[in-house]
Amino acid sequence: MTERRIGVFICHCGGNISDYVDVERVRQAVEKEPDVIVSRTVMFACSDASQQEMIDAIKDEKLNGLVVASCSPKLHLYTFRAAAERAGMNQYQYIQVNLREQDSWAHRDDMEKATQKGIRLVRAGIAKARASEALSTFRVETKPSVLVIGAGIAGLRASLALSDMGLSVFLIERESEVGGWTRKWGETFLRDKKGYEYVEKLEKDIKGRENITLFTNAELKEQAGAVGNFDIKVQVKGGDAISLNVGAIVVATGFDSYKPSEGEFGFGSPGVITLPDFKQIVDSSPEGKIEVNGRRVKDIAYIYCVGSRQGDEVENPNTYCSRYCCSATVHTAGLVQRKDERINQFHLFRDMRTYGKAELIYEQAAKHGSVFLRFQDAPEVRSEGEKIVVTVKDELSGGDPFEVAVDLVVLVTGMVPRENSSLVGNLKIPLGKDGFFNEIHPKLRPVETVMNGIFIVGVSQGPKNIAESVASALAGVAKSAALLMKGYVELEPFVAVVNNDKCTWCGACMEACPYSAIRKTVAGSKEVAEVVPALCKGGGACLPECPEDAIDLRGYTDEQIRSMITAMAKEVA
Amino acid sequence: MPCQSSAGKEKGKQMEHDVLIVGGGIAGMESALTLGDMGYKILLVEKQASIGGKMILLSKVFPTLDCASCISTPKMAATSHHPNIDMRVNTEVEGITKLTDGTFKVKIKRKATFVDPAACTGCGECEKACTVAQPDQFNFDLAARRTAFIPFPQAVPKKAVIERFGSSPCNFTCPAGIKAHGYVSLIRSGLYDEAMDLIMEVTPIVASLGRTCFAPCERECTRGKMEGPLPIRMLKRFAADHYYEKNPHPPYGPPGEKRDKKVAIVGSGPAGLTAAYHLAKNGYEVTIFEAAEEPGGMLRLSIPAYRLPKDVLDRDIENVTALGVEIKTGHRVQSLAKLREDGFDAVFAACGAMQDLKMKIEGDDLSGVEGALTFLMRVSSNEKTDLTGKTVMVVGGGNVAIDAARVALRLGSAKVLIQYRRSRAEMPALDAEIEDAIEEGVDIQYLKAPVRFKGASGKLEAVESVNMKLGEPDKTGRRRPVPIEGSTSTMKVDLCLVAIGQRPDLAGFSEKDGTALTRWNTLEVDSTTLETNIPGVFAGGDVVSGPASVVEAVNSGVRAAEYMRRYLEKEELPGKPMAQPPAVVDRDDVLKRNEGITKLTPAKIKHLPVEERVHNFKEVELPFTEDEARFSASRCMDCGGCSECHQCVHACPANAIHLDMQSQSEELEVGAVVLSTGFQLFDAHLKERYIYGKHPNVITAMQMDRILAPTRPYNGVLRPSDGKKPDNIAYVLCTGSRDHTVGNPLCSRVCCMYSIKQAQLIMGALPLADITIYYMDIRAFGKGYEEFYKQAADMGVYFVKGRVGSIEPADNGNLVVHYEDIEGEGGHKTAEHDLVVLSVGLFANPEAGDLFQGQKLDLDLQAFINEVDEDIDPGRTNIEGVFAAGSASAIRDIPDTILHSGSAAAQAASYLERRRAAK
Repeated sequence: MTERRIGVFICHCGGNISDYVDVERVRQAVEKEPDVIVSRTVMFACSDASQQEMIDAIKDEKLNGLVVASCSPKLHLYTFRAAAERAGMNQYQYIQVNLREQDSWAHRDDMEKATQKGIRLVRAGIAKARASEALSTFRVETKPSVLVIGAGIAGLRASLALSDMGLSVFLIERESEVGGWTRKWGETFLRDKKGYEYVEKLEKDIKGRENITLFTNAELKEQAGAVGNFDIKVQVKGGDAISLNVGAIVVATGFDSYKPSEGEFGFGSPGVITLPDFKQIVDSSPEGKIEVNGRRVKDIAYIYCVGSRQGDEVENPNTYCSRYCCSATVHTAGLVQRKDERINQFHLFRDMRTYGKAELIYEQAAKHGSVFLRFQDAPEVRSEGEKIVVTVKDELSGGDPFEVAVDLVVLVTGMVPRENSSLVGNLKIPLGKDGFFNEIHPKLRPVETVMNGIFIVGVSQGPKNIAESVASALAGVAKSAALLMKGYVELEPFVAVVNNDKCTWCGACMEACPYSAIRKTVAGSKEVAEVVPALCKGGGACLPECPEDAIDLRGYTDEQIRSMITAMAKEVA
Repeated sequence: MPCQSSAGKEKGKQMEHDVLIVGGGIAGMESALTLGDMGYKILLVEKQASIGGKMILLSKVFPTLDCASCISTPKMAATSHHPNIDMRVNTEVEGITKLTDGTFKVKIKRKATFVDPAACTGCGECEKACTVAQPDQFNFDLAARRTAFIPFPQAVPKKAVIERFGSSPCNFTCPAGIKAHGYVSLIRSGLYDEAMDLIMEVTPIVASLGRTCFAPCERECTRGKMEGPLPIRMLKRFAADHYYEKNPHPPYGPPGEKRDKKVAIVGSGPAGLTAAYHLAKNGYEVTIFEAAEEPGGMLRLSIPAYRLPKDVLDRDIENVTALGVEIKTGHRVQSLAKLREDGFDAVFAACGAMQDLKMKIEGDDLSGVEGALTFLMRVSSNEKTDLTGKTVMVVGGGNVAIDAARVALRLGSAKVLIQYRRSRAEMPALDAEIEDAIEEGVDIQYLKAPVRFKGASGKLEAVESVNMKLGEPDKTGRRRPVPIEGSTSTMKVDLCLVAIGQRPDLAGFSEKDGTALTRWNTLEVDSTTLETNIPGVFAGGDVVSGPASVVEAVNSGVRAAEYMRRYLEKEELPGKPMAQPPAVVDRDDVLKRNEGITKLTPAKIKHLPVEERVHNFKEVELPFTEDEARFSASRCMDCGGCSECHQCVHACPANAIHLDMQSQSEELEVGAVVLSTGFQLFDAHLKERYIYGKHPNVITAMQMDRILAPTRPYNGVLRPSDGKKPDNIAYVLCTGSRDHTVGNPLCSRVCCMYSIKQAQLIMGALPLADITIYYMDIRAFGKGYEEFYKQAADMGVYFVKGRVGSIEPADNGNLVVHYEDIEGEGGHKTAEHDLVVLSVGLFANPEAGDLFQGQKLDLDLQAFINEVDEDIDPGRTNIEGVFAAGSASAIRDIPDTILHSGSAAAQAASYLERRRAAK
């Protein structure tokens, strides 16, 4: 290691820090620390003027370590890293000390102790800087191609958009034809456009694209590699496994419709069917009448929330709301009314979740004679001769039991996750409590997963309607494109490194790694652990597991942490 | 690589930006970051001072209860640091035109923020110095902030802005550009010396103006539309008197830095003194030549001491002489050109209009017929004049007439009357002066004018007058007086003072110097620079304008000083125009902003009782006490926002504040457009039965979110009326949603969930509080939402199904909620709560519809951007290449906004790539 020359800048933050921490005392306390060449206080470290002062100091004093004691690194880590870079210093030899959120703001009542804490924090920062290494990001070349799993509406639309951007697409579909659920539908809400027409159009477009390869009857068999460079094996039914090399993976595996158990709201008896089945009957019915099992339908009862918002009354309940069903049902009721306006329709619902613009469809249904009965206790369904009688405690009439005799009961069944266990095993992306794929952050990163480069779109992530599924698909496309269009990804260098001399390959680190970033390899004549940098997230789970102390984490080395602790523990004079 | 983006590679066209994104909320940031990561160059335009939209203002977000700041700020920081994102805040899109090649021409305007963002460090010193408070829009008016402010602690960029709705009417109206609003707000803040300093930025004759100004500012004062205007002139007098009491002599001397140039000023009236003051401060050697024996011009000679005491005027003049200005009194200048020859590098002629006009009727050369100004000057020069027992007539209706009449009264006249040929309404003298005169016993005869002065042995004995009636309006717009035939009458008069106008006494400048004159016998000057036809000789004040006001003379002094400085420094003339104030605010807007403000009876301006003043020259008007001044200043409604008190300018350590900053427009070209213009919250005032805005304890959920946020306005959850911790809170869902009566049949999607979120947060902050949510349907449809709803119910939040009909005030600041009890016994019920939160709906932001020129952007019935095929092409609008992101096209929660914005980004990228491929 060459001689260390460290610059320390302590920020007043215009009083945010200096009102509660005596920054000048902090400066005096650290200016004699070993290797500290420059120590200054500044009014606003982040201002352009102060940054220039730092850059000049780095150049003039040939600094190879920079400590800025200011605010949270969340705010200005990149600011000061960039300043260090501009001065020609390695950006990873910049250390930020959080003197504001972790000191001045936290201890407004005790300036003396806050100042002492500040001294300790800055000393630790200096210690960390002294032990810092010049690191560089590493670049992983990315393949300009994407694997899309599932050719429902989301997968189809995603493939086209990826193709638009010049990325090659491999689209695999488990079934023999594309289109998923959407293919089954006639008119859909909110736009009354036909589902199968959407699919036909997308299918035609896809066939016209040279850079989209579609495999039907195909499933993912194996996945290896990492972001930018996944090795994929696809098994086509009755054929050989096909090897593909892609930069990203978009999972669009959709959903299953909840299948009621025998007897659940009369399911299994004639005249009790699910919404998807009913919808197809309605779509194919001629104008003027709707027939089920050869009998004209005169009265319909819809029972909502079947398989959704379940409580403890069932085992492994689906506690979630399936989101699309209220809107789909009132929309279907509208179609029914248009086919045969004589039909009486009773909606037994819990909360009418026709959110957003779907509220208008609900209004229309009510206007056109649909009767809405709100229940809390589950309605009972029994056969009585030709009719089926549904009993519900209607809230609007004070909870009196209310009987409707109908000839068709439609169970408004929700969405449930696909059976995807082999995919889960292969991709190593986690499932949520509800069984749908789990995103990395439900608010801000809804299509990303903990696996860099693998995206979850459409209903595979959670219930959605068509427009929402497609929006999610395109969001996944955008994220894939952002990853692949540059041609490479730059990854932070904070990864684990193995000391081959010490490593005895016990496999403990591999077990501990949640990202499968560690594998066995041979170095010279011995088996050792190897960290795949593209997969390693620098989480550090492997470190404490290693019995030989053979793994270290760049940027947070044992040496750095120990020296920080020592510096922090040193008495404040 | 085939897939590399076409960023900036538009063939035959070098564009700096590929995509314009309008709106920097969460949708805009997400689209910008995604497209930026793809390699496209982004122009992100945000009209507010910070990006982050509404999300950054939230407390926490459902269903994860993440802190909104904590998850927004990294996005905001990433957006501002992204190498491919050109972020423009405080900027509006003025128009977008699609070009035939599929690209777009975009006109943007950076609004003047009056703070140079490059210099501003966000230190907040301006905020501390600012003297104007405004409701904080980022706290949804729950608290006040300063007019110079940083939007909120996590703002990106963290730069101050100064909010100006326009010029305040008082500032805008002042002929001299004195910042009336500025010193009013300083006095309100107790900063009297600073108020004086602010006025002294314009003129040294502060106390004189404080007593004699005709105060056009007061006529424009918006408060005049309520219980009466602010006594702005009296406040100026207060500042001056206060300062002079503390500083009997100026606390400063001549400037340290001298310039080697000499300036002569002819006349020591308001124009001359003001010009001298500025030129001397600039380091020039200034000499004033004054014909009279004492300096002050009209201020001393024409304005009687009972209005402007001589010692007060002396102290004003000392402000000028302290700078080293020499005033040579008793020195009448005969030639302006000669002054130049005598070594003065520049000359300013400000010698006033000191010659009375004559009536030009029979007998006007009789002794006893005198010009009113001549009379006043005589009295001012201490010439003994005793009018005891005399009858004095004054002819005219201006201030000089009134002054002459009141002076005559004070000199012992038995009777003083004024004849004015028009009616009271046309009388140009100040109302207050007229009233004072009448109070003192002056008899005013309207619609009457002399036609003949009768006398014997050359001495006036009587005046023959005729009655008038008002005819057609003349050029000035006033109705012309027409004599009524046969209505003459004669009265005995000892002295008649003629006050029908004055004109400059040019002492033959024209003949000797060749100075150009106007046809009104005033000096002719360049209207901008005030330079005469003789180079280096400038002129201003009454000698140019004819008789006008003190404050207008001050203005010409300021202007002349600036152009003389440019002349002396050999700068181009006229050169850059002097700073133009922003357009004046609409006073109706101001009144609207201040709706419900308490009326405050104006402080009465006290006068000496008539009997104590009418026989002497004691100052009539009594000063304001400090309390009266503070009270009066506190009535200011801060019409323009910024008062221009200049405290921020002095406080800013980075010299970043420029109050003369102008907005700047720019035209750019882009390849695609993403509209992420977001939504508007329902204005709860419109739901009158919920008494929002009428009762302080009915608040909106957005306000509650602020109350719960880490950067909250109060330090805890409390109700606004009395600061009590509420223990029984009601939420009224669907306020402004699913409601045809307010024109919104749609469900706003997020209100159920944010209300449930707030209920959970309040339960954390106030564990003993009861929370009731009145709802129609609980729409907990998103991932994890149903579980979040259940969790709230398990925590003990009461959910009551039933729409709230109305809210009424009850005792102790509480409220009674009327609702339909659907789940329980049914029927109309009431419940009392101590705080009601209206879960307001979200509406379309209609602004996007106006952005396009040449092509109309399709909006739906609720004014959301229409997505022409939202199922398959989410975000696509009817204009190819234009995409909507987030709530611009339909209300979306945050996860759906993120998805939709990603989708818009993908669509925009597809558009760019398809167009590139097609080439």
